Amino acid sequence: MVIVDNLVKTYGSFRLDLSMEISDGAVTGIVGKNGAGKTTFIKALLGLIRPDEGRITINGREASMLTGREKASIGAALSESGFSAYLRVKDVTAILSKMYPTFDEEYFRKNCRAQGLPEDKRISEFSTGMKAKLRVLSAISHRAELLVMDEPTAGLDVQARNDILDLLRQYLQENENCSVLITSHISSDLESLCDDIYLIHDGKILLHEDTDVLLGSYAVLKVSEEAYEKLDKSYILAGRKEAFGYTCLTREKQFYAENYPGMVIENGSVDDLILLMTGGH
Amino acid sequence: MHIILNNSSMVPIYEQLMDQVKSAILKGDLAENEALPSVRTLSGQLRISALTVKKAYDRLEEEGFVVTVHGKGTYVAAADRQLALEARRKSVEDDFASAVQKAAAVGFGREDILQIVEIILEDYPWS
Repeated sequence: MVIVDNLVKTYGSFRLDLSMEISDGAVTGIVGKNGAGKTTFIKALLGLIRPDEGRITINGREASMLTGREKASIGAALSESGFSAYLRVKDVTAILSKMYPTFDEEYFRKNCRAQGLPEDKRISEFSTGMKAKLRVLSAISHRAELLVMDEPTAGLDVQARNDILDLLRQYLQENENCSVLITSHISSDLESLCDDIYLIHDGKILLHEDTDVLLGSYAVLKVSEEAYEKLDKSYILAGRKEAFGYTCLTREKQFYAENYPGMVIENGSVDDLILLMTGGH
Repeated sequence: MHIILNNSSMVPIYEQLMDQVKSAILKGDLAENEALPSVRTLSGQLRISALTVKKAYDRLEEEGFVVTVHGKGTYVAAADRQLALEARRKSVEDDFASAVQKAAAVGFGREDILQIVEIILEDYPWS
């Protein structure tokens, strides 16, 4: 269980200020534009930076005070693996097995083979997708109870993204109590994986919703100027002026579907959420 | 059981899932007492959130189509609704039995247990 209680971290004019809870066995996603504070939050969670105010606890222990042994129960994949580019997969295997008492070498080797990561090739010769797979595999091969994934699919093609998400899904099936915190720009990745999603903007949480509700109850309405004037806006969360009229975001799809037959209503997605909630109109 | 979800449908995903499990049960594709895939397994296979699968399973249980045995899994309830209800009552009885066992293990006596139940019943928001 991860509890983030009024975490504050300031860098110049940027201020991260948020609270959240990740219960055991939950898969939580964080979305937000570049610079929203996702990586700063992840760093604070891993104890890599100290919060200015507030506290983060992981299973009751302060995140910045975790011992090496306690940190071994966390699996993290950040934007850089930290492994020298001159190393080969077999060197990484040796390092990981020394670092983590619970490292499952067989599992790691098997998955490296399955994902097409040759043992004898230097990391410097790896493609972007191969490096990303190595980062994720390094994080999930020591039976971690909490996985922290910062943009594991950034910059990858659709096949590589799917491979990585399937690795995570497989891990989740084999470790039912494992919790995951994952950030991404690519909302469809999160929609298909996460139980709940936080939208962060300018260091603050704009929205927290179960993925299920997000995909089921949120909708985008497309209305003409005249229709917009007459529209009951009680359940409109955000809107944007368009050439044809307005695009509006609601979390009461049913209400508009029942009361405005003929209105163009599209299923909501995390992308719509980001664009409409942080677009600023 | 083969489940096909339509992500662009206006019908919520958990409802689509419920409908397909229901019809698999009614058609006999899923036999009585057959185990459904675990929440995480199905969520992985269908690439949807585990919470969505859990929601569908919970609703199916409310409607008497499946029974979830805590810590074990979710099973197809007896095709007969009466039997399904029986099964759910039995699982409640089992829960009570294990609670009593736990209570006895820490030294609670008959009166203590009854008192706890009284307090819980008093606070329960009967609707």
